[in-house]
Amino acid sequence: MIEQFHLLILGIVLFGVGLYALLGKRNLIKILMGIEIMTIAVNVVFIALGANIANATFTRFAQIFPLISIAIGAAVLAVGLAIAINNYRHAHSVDTDEMATLKR
Amino acid sequence: MSLVIIYIFMILAILAAIFALECRRLMFSIIGLIAMNLFLWVLLLTLNAMFLAWIQLIVYGGGFTALFVVVVALTEKQRDESFDWKRSVIALVIVAILMGIAIWGVIDSDLSITFGTSTIGESLRALWTERLTDLILQAVVFFATSIGIGSLFIHHKKKHKEETKA
Repeated sequence: MIEQFHLLILGIVLFGVGLYALLGKRNLIKILMGIEIMTIAVNVVFIALGANIANATFTRFAQIFPLISIAIGAAVLAVGLAIAINNYRHAHSVDTDEMATLKR
Repeated sequence: MSLVIIYIFMILAILAAIFALECRRLMFSIIGLIAMNLFLWVLLLTLNAMFLAWIQLIVYGGGFTALFVVVVALTEKQRDESFDWKRSVIALVIVAILMGIAIWGVIDSDLSITFGTSTIGESLRALWTERLTDLILQAVVFFATSIGIGSLFIHHKKKHKEETKA
């Protein structure tokens, strides 16, 4: 048997790992990976909270919010990776410290 | 699924996420990301969220991975050399504090709702009889993606060697 709060702790730890990438990394690709991990963590929390009722209907409802979050995550990733490629063309680097060259 | 198997998958997912972020080679980071998605896919299946599990595997394991591979191949930066100790330690401290507060809040909230089956044998039998096709499909997807990324990596390495020789 699995307790609900174990899944919530998994979500929190995954969110922490993603947040660490967001704060501690300079590589734009790693930062985007961190954002994706954070999105997945939130999805896990949604499902953990939705799966607590034996009736499957609530679980189905709980799956809709992660679907929206996945769609938004896809858009964020596409834009972020486009910026990364643009940055590489300008500065020959994917380092976030070099992103000021995009303004020129 | 028994608690042991679910815990193993949880720990593997967290380790894969850490590997994805800490690995210097970006191609291996992407493989870590795929592995994390696969472990979470199994977890979502155990929680009876079949639809979301498949959507997540297709979108994250397929689409996002392809995007990352294309960008890493385009930027030609195969290694992440920008490791900053000071920045990492500060980030770790902030994350540890926030995680501590969040975990304390969750434990303090007295959530004790349980779901799933009870024994390992029962869960393995259920996995074998009900999810065999899913597992085979997952293995095929994982190996195909890993072989694809590996061949891309080897090709890039060969090209780089030839360029340095020239």
